[in-house]
Amino acid sequence: MKLTLDQLVPYSLKDKIKNGGSDIWNQLVSFDQGDFIKIEAPSGTGKTTLTHLLYKVRTDYTGRITYGNTVLGLCDEDGLADVRQSHLSIVFQDLRLFPDLSARENIEIKRLLTPQFSSKELVDEMAERLRVSDILDQQMRFCSFGEQQRITIIRALMQPFDWLILDEPFSHLDLGNVQLAATLINEACLQRNAGLIIMGLNKDQYFNYHRELVL
Amino acid sequence: MLDQLLKKLIRNAAGQTKFVLAVIGLSTALILILSAVQLQSNYYELLNGKNNQDSIANFLVVNKSLTDQNVGSSSLSEKQLTDLKKQTFTESIGTLTVSRYKASIQSNSQLFPFYTDIAFESVPEEFIDVNTKEWHWDEQALFLPIIVPNQFLDFYNFQYSFSQNLPQLTPQVVKMVSFKVTIQGNGQSYHLNGRVVGFSNRISSMLVPQNFMGWANYKFSSTSTLRQPSRVIIKTKDAGNPELNNYLKKAGLITDADKTRFSRYRQVVDFVVNISGITGLLMFTFALLIFSLFIQLTIASCKEEIELLILIGNSPKNIGRFLMKRFFPPNVFIILIGLISVTIAQYFLANYLISKQVILSPYISLYTILAAILVLIVIAVMNYITIQKYLRLQQRTK
Repeated sequence: MKLTLDQLVPYSLKDKIKNGGSDIWNQLVSFDQGDFIKIEAPSGTGKTTLTHLLYKVRTDYTGRITYGNTVLGLCDEDGLADVRQSHLSIVFQDLRLFPDLSARENIEIKRLLTPQFSSKELVDEMAERLRVSDILDQQMRFCSFGEQQRITIIRALMQPFDWLILDEPFSHLDLGNVQLAATLINEACLQRNAGLIIMGLNKDQYFNYHRELVL
Repeated sequence: MLDQLLKKLIRNAAGQTKFVLAVIGLSTALILILSAVQLQSNYYELLNGKNNQDSIANFLVVNKSLTDQNVGSSSLSEKQLTDLKKQTFTESIGTLTVSRYKASIQSNSQLFPFYTDIAFESVPEEFIDVNTKEWHWDEQALFLPIIVPNQFLDFYNFQYSFSQNLPQLTPQVVKMVSFKVTIQGNGQSYHLNGRVVGFSNRISSMLVPQNFMGWANYKFSSTSTLRQPSRVIIKTKDAGNPELNNYLKKAGLITDADKTRFSRYRQVVDFVVNISGITGLLMFTFALLIFSLFIQLTIASCKEEIELLILIGNSPKNIGRFLMKRFFPPNVFIILIGLISVTIAQYFLANYLISKQVILSPYISLYTILAAILVLIVIAVMNYITIQKYLRLQQRTK
């Protein structure tokens, strides 16, 4: 599913964008299905804003985002729920987990939206690979940020998707764990023939990128 | 599974105690409303049910109240009659025709001699509460059938017979006795045999068939002009209708007071039903309000959880459905409590009233069940609207 960003300008960054220099803001950009895209975004360029626009958390912008034939801005609540269940997955920078639920419950509440897609065993398998098996039954609020980050990644991989959006997904992981997580994500994307958009402050070699853009 | 997780996330905001109190409030309101409906339908069952066909209550003999002013002119005018006919409580109206000749009855037997002057009345057959094949007369008939008020027989059996040292008579014996009826007027006299064919509780006069009355009045009356009737009989669905009572009072008419005794009961029933119904409705309104506040509070206090649930791909519709599943079933339970309470009350009421010769169905009426269903629908709609409204409202203020 092709992703097209057409002249995106968020209200909050209007003045900054006027100066130009961005590969994305106020440009026409499109990404092909299965592309791995790296977006390098120095602080203050609107990295998290872009994430939110792509996932329709915010709608305060001009321009147009299109997934395949779906114009994101025109989705109603049912359409949006469908997009988020089957076409678009995300790892937020601020994770967005339920602090009162256990790690497993946090994953389950996502998995159960598309239970036919991923099995219960898959959760244990992924937890094993990311070395978080022992905290699965712990309440989320008592887990370290690094652990929470890995739980969020597992949660994002529970559903079918055409695009995976990652907003600084490895910020609190050591190199060894980053390697494990990146491998898992890579596999998941290839299995689905899905594209990936990762936001980061600097250049990196986590994945084999098709394109690298600067925000 | 998903519901269990949702349950963990979306908790009751206001606490269990308040919830229980709200349930009790709603149940009480419901019991009051359903009782009001049940009482009303019980009353209608008493009025219209076959078991309780109170012949006295449904037929009223009405005449002018006799005072010093209207002595001698007690007949009802044509205008009064048509007016009476027009009233909503009147089903049909029949005039009582009085005899305008002298009549007497005399025993045929020396064993049991009696003689008395009497007067007859007649009334259309549909107003008579005695059902007999013998109620028929023509000029070739062997005898004149007569219907006698029950009170006459009672008066004879329990007072007169003792004072005169006469034997008591059962209705069967009286019906077998044939006697001589003499009619005089216009300078002629006429003899025929008479026999009592039945006893009436409804009309307190000696009744003869209407065609005999017409024939005799024509033949033996000294005045040829037809007189306006001074007594009429009204058939009405509900002799206890306060409207009827008020109308009679205003028109200066009276009837057997006993027959309108239902009027007082009816006012009491209306009063009780109204109080119970209004209180029930008020409580119901408040209870509904409390319940929607509950829903509102729960949604508001779980604002972040609901937001995040929608963010990870739940549709607001689904969450609404979950909330409905959460808040609606207690209402079904409440309705059941209400229906069961009223059913039990009705059962005991019916049993109690049987000992008072009032027959009431031991089951609750269809209207009560319909009312319960209606209330359930109102609650469901109310819950649905509240949930949808506050889910949307919350998303907008995000």
